[in-house]
Amino acid sequence: MKAGFYSRIAITGMRQNRRLYVPYLLACTGMVMMGYIVYFLSVSSAVRSMSGGATVSAMMSLGYFIMMIFTAIFLFYTNSFLIRRRKKEFGLYNILGMGKRNIGRVLLMETLITAAVSIGAGLILGAVFSKLAELAMVNMIGGDISYSISVSLTAMAITAMSFCIIYALIFINGLRQIHTSNPAELMRSENVGEKPPKANLLLGIGGIILMAGAYYMAVSIKNPLSALTWFFVAVAMVIIATYLIFIAGSVLMCRLLQKNKRYYYKPNHFVSVSSMVYRMKRNGAGLASICILATMVLVMITGSACLYFGAEDSLHARYPKDISAEITLSDFNSVNEEKISLFRNIVDEVIDESHEKVRERVEYCDATVSGINRDGTIVLDADDGDINDMDRIVNFVFVSVDDYNRITGNDYHIAGNQVMTYGVRTDYDESRLTFEDGTEFEIVKKLDSFFVSGNTAMDVVPTIAVVVPDLKESLGGLSAHLKDIDQGLRIHWYTGFNTDGDETEQRQFTGKLEGRLRAEAIDGNDDIYSYSCESLEANRSDFYATYGGLFFLGIILSIIFLCATVLIIYYKQISEGYEDESRFEIMQKVGMTKRNIRRSINSQMLTIFLLPLAMAVIHLAFAFPMIEKLLLLFNLVNLKLLLATAGVSVLIFALFYMVVYKVTSQVYYNIVSGKRAETR
Amino acid sequence: MSILSVKGLQKIYTTRFGGNKVEALRDVNFEVEKGEYVAIMGESGSGKTTLLNILAGLDKPTRGSVVLDGKDMASVKESAMAAFRRDNLGFVFQEFNLLDTFSIEDNIYLPLVLAGKSHREMRERLEPLAIELGIWDLLKKYPYEVSGGQKQRTAVARALITEPKLILADEPTGALDSKSTEELLRLFAEINMRGQTILMVTHSVKAASNAGRVLFIKDGEVYHQLYRGSSTAEEFYQKISNTLTIIATGGER
Repeated sequence: MKAGFYSRIAITGMRQNRRLYVPYLLACTGMVMMGYIVYFLSVSSAVRSMSGGATVSAMMSLGYFIMMIFTAIFLFYTNSFLIRRRKKEFGLYNILGMGKRNIGRVLLMETLITAAVSIGAGLILGAVFSKLAELAMVNMIGGDISYSISVSLTAMAITAMSFCIIYALIFINGLRQIHTSNPAELMRSENVGEKPPKANLLLGIGGIILMAGAYYMAVSIKNPLSALTWFFVAVAMVIIATYLIFIAGSVLMCRLLQKNKRYYYKPNHFVSVSSMVYRMKRNGAGLASICILATMVLVMITGSACLYFGAEDSLHARYPKDISAEITLSDFNSVNEEKISLFRNIVDEVIDESHEKVRERVEYCDATVSGINRDGTIVLDADDGDINDMDRIVNFVFVSVDDYNRITGNDYHIAGNQVMTYGVRTDYDESRLTFEDGTEFEIVKKLDSFFVSGNTAMDVVPTIAVVVPDLKESLGGLSAHLKDIDQGLRIHWYTGFNTDGDETEQRQFTGKLEGRLRAEAIDGNDDIYSYSCESLEANRSDFYATYGGLFFLGIILSIIFLCATVLIIYYKQISEGYEDESRFEIMQKVGMTKRNIRRSINSQMLTIFLLPLAMAVIHLAFAFPMIEKLLLLFNLVNLKLLLATAGVSVLIFALFYMVVYKVTSQVYYNIVSGKRAETR
Repeated sequence: MSILSVKGLQKIYTTRFGGNKVEALRDVNFEVEKGEYVAIMGESGSGKTTLLNILAGLDKPTRGSVVLDGKDMASVKESAMAAFRRDNLGFVFQEFNLLDTFSIEDNIYLPLVLAGKSHREMRERLEPLAIELGIWDLLKKYPYEVSGGQKQRTAVARALITEPKLILADEPTGALDSKSTEELLRLFAEINMRGQTILMVTHSVKAASNAGRVLFIKDGEVYHQLYRGSSTAEEFYQKISNTLTIIATGGER
């Protein structure tokens, strides 16, 4: 009987506030659904059994965790709108003699209903859509599709449990809010008239400076590795700056608009500008949050989509040839034609045995060393740990001009200390190359192309390829010096070719070759420091699993962020609508027409919706160079693809945004024009 | 010449679930001459508020007509009603109904802005009005920064700035202390002296004794009316009091 009473109050309350509760319940249900799907993918046997499935599975479990954190934050945030709105009602109950304990029970019933409905509906929807997600996932990675439908009880239990915890936290927070306020306050809580804020010029200017700094940083960073480290600094700066600019800037902007009498005293501007000024402080923070969420969605979806659609490019950059073998020799001086032909013979024999059709075979030797570029001199023995060294690390790959000419079909002639260079992830534009031991090269040409090896492509450090007249002659001094400081000049023999063989054939081939090389390395050939054999096809599924998984998570997280953005805007406008209700009532009495109301709502909504979106697009534009650099770390250099994905992302986002704008302004209009189809 | 003519006004409310009908106004007839200052008195539930809502165009009568300055309000379309109100009527409410998002100045401008007037014209109209009402120094302030009397004077300024044909005042002194009440009544008298027609609904005998004529409404009809004529405010106050007593005790007309 008692329980029935509380649940009846809870249900009535929720029904009366359906404008607020329906979106909240929908959002909760959606989150549960997505949570289930992500967890389901991490345990799905169909995903696990395909090649690369283990990667996807691991990624999804991590993704689930990240997702839950964001979900908790968003639900917390949206719930605070509900509580603020309900406080008055609770205050009334309190005055009518309901203790806080009883109100707590009403709140508990509400939470239980919300949890039951959203978890129930979410899991059902999740089970329905999980197969679709699984198919999409399998298709993305390129595995075999099975059409059997399965439901994972583990995933259901885990998802339900996670959300129960989230709801419990939200409930506790609601209790805390009710307990820390007295009834009079509860009754009043929504109508706290606040002073219109003064425009804080200092904050605004600070924000602009911070923003300019972050933008400059984003545009000026050349080195992908420093892009990786500075990216987060820039992000933090942009977030702070966005808040400052929106909070101080929006007040300032409105004040300026008010100063402009001809603009301000127009029917559709008058009301909207003045009410924005009035709520600017809160407005600014809300707008900034929306802007940042929008930017996050755009950056995330652009980046992950770009990675996924560029996976083939990355794959081929990482594995320039279908099959490749590399032998690293321990001693620079021991390299001679005799040893190299020994290796070559081994490869030839394996090719003959397995009847492999070989195309576009290349073969060359290179020597590698890393150093730190300090004011034009490459320091090799740097153990003094300068913090700035991080940005200055450079790898060098030396190749003889003969190898270069043979592979690229050029006919360059260089001699003495002349070299030609090609920069990977860097543009080295000095005219000389000086090492700490005094070895000095004169750069006579910047090359347009180079056969970048898979290892170099995979690395994150800037690399300069140096074509020298002759490896031994040109690098003799450097090699001796490196030996003195207990380092060595690594020298590699590399061969690679393309083939028609499928994944199994390629795996067999590399397996066989690896066996032969191992035998050779053990059987007394001390020169072999290390060896490796790789095939492109064997790694394809892992590549697609990683990038496809990232893309999938990117989409899921984007949807969550998008939901959050939408909910924040919606609730902001709705709660403002309720606050504005009495104002519009007065204005209607003194002669405001329905048309005037429509117009002033449109003017206000457009500003509120467009400002963050515009700012987010600007953020994205400035983040572009950085995203480009970061994608370089994944061997992705396709600028067109990046532009296209960014464009499509913005377009989809804007479209979605416009729909929400329409819905929100309609609801707002219904509230303030007193059109109350629903009983309140 | 009559500026407002109310004939055979009837208003019947039907409760939401059918059945019960409530007759708020039965048959109200009266006229207001241009430049008159009329007070309407009546107990709660006598139909005062319904009458005012109909006069303001916020509600439609079941039967009867309201003609304002030769124009039948029934002929004004729903969509044009707001504009009609804005151009012809000025409102003063008990709760002031000022908007806390606007400064005092902007609150007064509101109806003019809605009418699409230029800022220069608004300013020209505001200046003499603000000085006369003694709120010139407050123009830049916000409603929460000024006193109740000042708020009500702002509301009066907002009502007057459109130069309406008729001012409708709904319990204008209801939320004021006695000093502010005196001030406001003096102000209404002054405005009326300059030719402004005022129709005021009130409970307060004091406020009513300030008017030139008092209409008493009972059970949805005009039950009685009193002209001030040449009597002083004190005498008129006494007359109104007596009439109210007679009405309350159910005496003859």
